[in-house]
Amino acid sequence: MPVAGRSVGGALAAILGREGLREDDAARAAASVDGEVPRWVARPATPEQVSGVLALAHDAGLAVAPRGSGSALELGRPPARVDVVLDLGGLDRVLDWSPDDLTVSVQAGVSAGALATRLAGRRQLLPLDPPGAATRTLGGLTATAASGPLRARYGTLRDLLLGVRFVQADGVVTWGGARVVKSVSGYDVPKLMIGALGTLGVLVELTLRLHPTPEAERTWLVRVRDGAEAQAVVDALLDSAIQPNRVELLNGAALGAAGLPAGAAAVAVSVGTVAAAVRAQGEALAALARRVGGEAVPQPADFWDRYGRAGALGGGVRLRVATLVTGLAAALGELDAAAADLAPGVAARVTGCAAVGALHVALAPIAPEAAAALVERLRGFVAPAGGSVVVEAGPRALREALDPWGPVAPGPLGLMRALKDEFDPARVLNPGRFVGGL
Amino acid sequence: MALTRTVLDALTRILGPDGVISSPEGRLVYECDMQTFYKGAPDVVALPESAEQVEAIVRLCRRERVPVVPRGSGSGLIGGAMAPAGGVMVGLNRMDRILEVDLPNRCATVQPGLVNLWLTRAVEDRGYFFAPDPSSQMVSSIGGNVSTNAGGPHCLKYGITVNHVLGLELVTGAGERVQLGGKVADRPGYDLTGTAVGAEGTFGLVTAITVRLLHAAEAVKTVLASFPSIEHASEAVSGIIAAGIIPAALEMLDALMIQAIEAGIGAGYPKGAAAVLLIELDGPAAEVEAQAERAAAICRERGALDVRVARDEAERALLWKGRKEAAGALGRLAPMYMLQDAVVPRSKLPAIMREILAISERHGVQIANVFHAGDGNLHPLILYDDRHPEQVERARAANEEVLHACIAMGGTVTGEHGVGLDKAQKLPLQYADADLNFMYRLRGVFDPDRLMNPGKLLPSHPACGEGFRPARPRLPDGAWI
Amino acid sequence: MATVPATLGAFRGADAPDLEALRKCVHCGICVPQCPTFRVLGEEMDTPRGRLYLMRAAAEGRLGLTEALARHLDLCLGCRACETACPSGVPFGSLLESARVQLRRHGPPSRHRLLEALVFAVFPEPRRLGALLAALSLYRRSGLGRLVRALGLLRPFPRLAAMEALVAEVPRPVPLPAIVPARGRRRGRVGLLTGCVQRHLYPGVNRDTAQLLALAGYEVVVPAAQGCCGALDLHAGRADAFRARARALAAAFPDDLDFVVTNAAGCGSAMKAYGHWLREAADLGAKTRDVLELLAEAELPLGPLALRVTYHDACHLAHGQRVRQEPRALLRRIPGLTLVELPDSDFCCGSAGVYNLLEPRIARALLEQKLARIAATGARVVAAANPGCLLQIASGCRAHGLDVEIVHPVELLARAAARAR
Repeated sequence: MPVAGRSVGGALAAILGREGLREDDAARAAASVDGEVPRWVARPATPEQVSGVLALAHDAGLAVAPRGSGSALELGRPPARVDVVLDLGGLDRVLDWSPDDLTVSVQAGVSAGALATRLAGRRQLLPLDPPGAATRTLGGLTATAASGPLRARYGTLRDLLLGVRFVQADGVVTWGGARVVKSVSGYDVPKLMIGALGTLGVLVELTLRLHPTPEAERTWLVRVRDGAEAQAVVDALLDSAIQPNRVELLNGAALGAAGLPAGAAAVAVSVGTVAAAVRAQGEALAALARRVGGEAVPQPADFWDRYGRAGALGGGVRLRVATLVTGLAAALGELDAAAADLAPGVAARVTGCAAVGALHVALAPIAPEAAAALVERLRGFVAPAGGSVVVEAGPRALREALDPWGPVAPGPLGLMRALKDEFDPARVLNPGRFVGGL
Repeated sequence: MALTRTVLDALTRILGPDGVISSPEGRLVYECDMQTFYKGAPDVVALPESAEQVEAIVRLCRRERVPVVPRGSGSGLIGGAMAPAGGVMVGLNRMDRILEVDLPNRCATVQPGLVNLWLTRAVEDRGYFFAPDPSSQMVSSIGGNVSTNAGGPHCLKYGITVNHVLGLELVTGAGERVQLGGKVADRPGYDLTGTAVGAEGTFGLVTAITVRLLHAAEAVKTVLASFPSIEHASEAVSGIIAAGIIPAALEMLDALMIQAIEAGIGAGYPKGAAAVLLIELDGPAAEVEAQAERAAAICRERGALDVRVARDEAERALLWKGRKEAAGALGRLAPMYMLQDAVVPRSKLPAIMREILAISERHGVQIANVFHAGDGNLHPLILYDDRHPEQVERARAANEEVLHACIAMGGTVTGEHGVGLDKAQKLPLQYADADLNFMYRLRGVFDPDRLMNPGKLLPSHPACGEGFRPARPRLPDGAWI
Repeated sequence: MATVPATLGAFRGADAPDLEALRKCVHCGICVPQCPTFRVLGEEMDTPRGRLYLMRAAAEGRLGLTEALARHLDLCLGCRACETACPSGVPFGSLLESARVQLRRHGPPSRHRLLEALVFAVFPEPRRLGALLAALSLYRRSGLGRLVRALGLLRPFPRLAAMEALVAEVPRPVPLPAIVPARGRRRGRVGLLTGCVQRHLYPGVNRDTAQLLALAGYEVVVPAAQGCCGALDLHAGRADAFRARARALAAAFPDDLDFVVTNAAGCGSAMKAYGHWLREAADLGAKTRDVLELLAEAELPLGPLALRVTYHDACHLAHGQRVRQEPRALLRRIPGLTLVELPDSDFCCGSAGVYNLLEPRIARALLEQKLARIAATGARVVAAANPGCLLQIASGCRAHGLDVEIVHPVELLARAAARAR
């Protein structure tokens, strides 16, 4: 229903208060999503305000783009429409931390870094460490299903998110899951919200499982001659009794970007447990590396900070490549070959969790057509085994030239569409940005 | 409700005469799962051997508007595998094959009827295991585990079933066979796999499951600590978790339970202790060594009477056999029991155990306790004899009070057994109307005609009905239109 | 023998299943995957839990003694693996036997009437069995057997075919003296049950049993007039016949024995249950031991046997009598013998008394599973302590050309003893 801008603005202001609503050009431009400038930038301070904004948007036929820290706005298709950018950074309270229960409830706008600082006092951690996580909001990390090296041991949000409060597209505040570490009461609604890019509801509160911080931790870089050797290291490591908490694969370009000694590839492994076990596992890792022909070199404590920089690349294209663990070397090889064919001279840094086959590819600035061709070729390569290539970040032109999510099989896509039709029939939430144009 | 001849004939065409059971005796034995309190015989039992047959059954039932109730091993505890509205029960025991084991990628694909333990048996020689280990694992099917999102003692460290399911083949209530997820962990789109695990058959029937396999730990140590009271043991549990130790399993058994286990199985639990903790640590040898020592020390500090470590694999296996068959052994103490599965935040354990003791005294009922102390998942077993109506009444009253006490402490109505018929009416204790309504609509996406395992998981409640609208926020008046 | 109400649902009069025992089942299903018929048929009615549920329904008056009830109970092999699995201690075996007694007395007529009549006229009667086997032997030697098999004449009669396939050759009888004196330090005086099938088909096992017992220090009394223990009758619900045989057997053995020894698991299991069924034979039941139980406690001089052996747990020894470790320990005592564990060694081979004759389809399916597991062990010798298992597994090996020797453990022990100086 067409609504006069001024009156909607008034209603928004009534819901959010003066300090919660920005309508000025500078604020609107700064909040633009893929160049789409919203008419309003809403910064609610409470879940009730989120609810009010969405109810209003729903009734007024507005499109809402939720955002956390704004670091993942290039994920997904360019939006069909953006009327309101919903900045959730104001929901930044830690609601309930129960150290003895190893659980915490936070508002969605709390940053991973802020939470980590609190938890460190009791030697607890939320093992969620994608590059740049410290400044990202937990709601944003959840909506984008972000994961980092620690998933090798602790899994992903799928294993950490216990309960979730979200606001449905029509403004109804809804809770799913539980506040305790174990519950099967009703459907596992939290799972539905992970990686959904806010298209089924806007996250306002999360209850998360925590882990004790290991007493001691040590990192090794296993240097190898080529991808095949890296694969051999990963296969042998996963088939051993070593219990790593990170198993990351780096190609030559990534090694360079992280300021590590040059090489074709390497596997970074860390072990976190009691000191004696760290020592013993380190020895086992060294022996394993030697067997495969590599060498395990101990790394300084700041290794993982430097590692985070290896994947950060301004202005380029970032891809998430999911493949079988046994297909890592092949995927690396195919990427190199494709890059040589389609984008000669463009560096492609590869990092990622080898333990589950989740790679991150960072390409230096590259022509959208070349990037699209490269993505299509990689997709063709990993698809037969069930793999996928998602454009995590890149210029709008690229994400217009090809579906950044890649194809989803008709069966599951039909269910996804039915979910969207059920829970957001008016297409209020991030319209057009998700898989299949949902 | 009796089925029409058409449906029976059509089922026979799909499955052959050996795959259709319609005798009164056959229907009788399928009338309940392990929770025999709830009985509902199906009109007919279908025993498919392939996903194609399952798909054909669902399509037939949808066309004829007949309820479909899936059943694995019938070892559930929630009145899940029974047919309160009749219809077709689909027994999946004949679909019990391991379709693929892919150790380099640490996963396997199995049919739903495969017994949980058989999967581990098939890969343990090569050093792998399937982590979800409900106490029923020697009988329950992986399809059933997926359906209820089953837990188990070792999910304290390893997580519950959903954390180990990579993919599902699902025949939805609409009769569509879809592949959700698969061997590669990350997929674009909604996590339909994760959402469908724990749906208790209300989304449709699972016909194949891809699960993660884990590499066996380098070392395992099982510590047995006995305590003069349940409270002492509860304090030790809190102490262990607070010390940053996450054991693979942390189980508590009380005196009554130990009595039943020792009578039935003779597992070597110390008689005479008021409570026993079974603490299992696994992982790198040095870690296990250090943590076992620390856990033992914490137990002693909290007043343990005796702390010992299982000497060998045989002793460890026997202790676990006793633990896992505990509920079965209760047949030695009383003919019937009500089993609660509520969860409290683990720091509330001492308080809830005091409360349960008080409830037991107040109602004059015996309550045996065996539970997953490490994650606060209680299993009070309230004993009664169903031939004495007043005993049934007292047990029921005690059962209700335990549940309400857990919710009051911030808990949940079921930690691992599932909702089924048993807990459906309890969900409103934990969820608001809007939450229930969301779940109701979610189910409709997968099962538009609501014929899949009707009456389970969701309560009969206004919020779970057609046309219900949860309360929305009040918008500012008039200003904007 | 508790006193029973005159009616208990559909059950009437004496020998009704004990309702309290039925109520011990908490429906947990731990027995289900252990049940051979479940593994073959994949349906609840043919599981221990399902059968108990049906029996309970009959006892509670929810179900009559119907043909389908009888059928599902008939299909049970009576292997009692469910008893081993059951954490609640449900006495499935005796409940099943009682229910079968009730069905025989008050239920529908059996569907195997003719075959059963034949079986019960012959098997428990050593003399008749001997005559039948002699005839079978002649039929074989005359070449008629080969002809019949070549023409497939028995194909339309699967149960007769099963019977024909079971027996390869009938050995010469081995007479045993009435008393075998003890050797060395005397441990006691025992009676030996020579069995029906055992004495005709495996007379060597009886001879080895007697000799080993003597070597272990027992004086062995072998009453010539002994009959059948009644196990087959018990399993078929023929309570009256069973009691008569038990009574006669009790009378056949002198009173001053320390033990009565059997080398047939099925017999031992039934005899140990005498006390449950009749007072007059309770004493004999209490004295019954499997030969391997006694030998395991004794010292035996054993010489080397360089063999790779696997051990199949006869159901009525492992589940029926809870004798599992003794046979293994004894075999391990033979120098040079390598004992390899047979996976699911206590899973029924399908023999189950005369079950393989009555239900050849299921019996064959179970046999196939057993043979596959045996083949996978790479063992040259399979030891099993029950003549039914020996016959069943041997016939399977013959049919598949599996080059494996099937023996009773006492045969290996006797061979080893012969090699000891």
